[in-house]
Amino acid sequence: MPHQCTNCGHTFPDGSKEMLSGCPDCGGNKFQFTPNSDRSAEDGADGDADPETPAADSTEAEADGVASRAAETVRGWVSSEPTDESAPDAPEPPAADRSTASAGTADPQPTGDSRGSDPTRNERSTSPGDRGRASDDGDDSFTEWPDSARRPEDRSSPSAESTASDATDDRTGSELNSSDHRTDPIADASSERSEPDHETAAVADSEDSAQASARSEVVPADDLPTGSDVAGEGDSITEVDPIDDGGSEETPDHGRVVSEPSGEQPSIEELRAELNEQFESIKILRPGQYELNLMELYNRDEYIISLQEDGRYVIDVPESWHDDADE
Amino acid sequence: MGLLTGLKDSISRVTDRLFTDEQPKRIGIYGPPNAGKTTLANRIARDWTGDAVGTESHVPHETRRARRKEDVEIERDGRSVSIDIVDTPGVTTKVDYEEFTDEMEEDDAIRRSREATEGVAEAMHWLREDVDGVIYVLDSAEDPITQVNTMLIGIIESRDLPVLIFANKIDLDEASVKRIEDAFPQHKTVPLSAKEGQNMDEVYDNIAEYFG
Repeated sequence: MPHQCTNCGHTFPDGSKEMLSGCPDCGGNKFQFTPNSDRSAEDGADGDADPETPAADSTEAEADGVASRAAETVRGWVSSEPTDESAPDAPEPPAADRSTASAGTADPQPTGDSRGSDPTRNERSTSPGDRGRASDDGDDSFTEWPDSARRPEDRSSPSAESTASDATDDRTGSELNSSDHRTDPIADASSERSEPDHETAAVADSEDSAQASARSEVVPADDLPTGSDVAGEGDSITEVDPIDDGGSEETPDHGRVVSEPSGEQPSIEELRAELNEQFESIKILRPGQYELNLMELYNRDEYIISLQEDGRYVIDVPESWHDDADE
Repeated sequence: MGLLTGLKDSISRVTDRLFTDEQPKRIGIYGPPNAGKTTLANRIARDWTGDAVGTESHVPHETRRARRKEDVEIERDGRSVSIDIVDTPGVTTKVDYEEFTDEMEEDDAIRRSREATEGVAEAMHWLREDVDGVIYVLDSAEDPITQVNTMLIGIIESRDLPVLIFANKIDLDEASVKRIEDAFPQHKTVPLSAKEGQNMDEVYDNIAEYFG
């Protein structure tokens, strides 16, 4: 039961898309995720975001309310004040969002995995730090994480939303959710254990799979970035992440479509040159040798009345007549 | 005075007459270089006004400025048709001074080439702006299916201008009017020799019929 409605307790299997349109029983839109296997996820997460992790750790130590911190960090992040800590924090929020989406409690692993795959995403990267924390603690901490988790709604939006939006979500999520959505004591878990982070990570992963499945309906698997396997979340998040990624090291993992166009530029220039040639009405090959584009000459309002020896030419436009015509 | 001044005057005169029925049709004589356009224009002008239009030459691009003869009155069957004849530079897609270097100094050839290019631009411009009908002159000793001929006739057709195709130089042994008729079956083809004055009656009949 990776996903559970926080309102009525309805549970959904990992990868289920049902909650994407609200809880079928109560219509609630808040869910918590319980990863099945935390550690695996954690490991992956850790590996992904080593740099961040340290920061995350530090944050962990400090933090009681991971969510709150995360929110803060996110803010900082958004504001583009990326200290190590902030970076880690930022990642966490996403994870939190994910966790909320999925189900607060459950198995950390899925999320952790997803994150690992996610690396490209900032959130993921940040999450790694969380993961690192989480790794130590284990599953227990996960329960706490749910707070940080976003609502399913938020998740879906993230793609459109940039990191900034995410950050805001996270904040609200962390703060608001902690009270509302999160199963519990995210704060406790987070503060007490680094694990919470792991959980969040795990959550994220699990969510990713769910999102991925949902996405699969709309977007072919082929279109997804390499990392897509890990997390459906990743996909949704991924979009957001790209922005974040700039900061993060992970970018390389996901092949961005953006990179492809580079090869085409030359051809575009060639095309432009070709077009220029085609639209040129008189082409001077060398003095005394000309190629004429009759259609272009015909179509022009103005016409050339004098070609100069130096390659310049005089054009005339309708109704501006000169008396200097030579006979 | 400059030619353009004359054109300006004539245009303003035409503008004044825009709302009258009497304005003569402006018939452009078009075709590739050396098809005999000026020879034809001079033939018509001499036949009906006594003046020549321009200098004829066996060297292509002798006509590098559009020249017109206005108010040429052609009488057919007791009926009078007044037209303005515009002799245009030969239209081509390539002008190369080396084509003339056998006939003149290189500098002159280069200048002739440049002027010819200007002439093509002018001819194309007038085709768009200032002709009411077209006499398309072809050398019947040459292959009529060329890029220039196809394109120009296409443009003329797109303008919905009345057009007559004159298969000139029928005095030459290699002349083939049928080749021209087959190339442009959608248009009336009139065989003639402007230089020798052959078949000019049919020429004038058709001018009066098409442009009167």
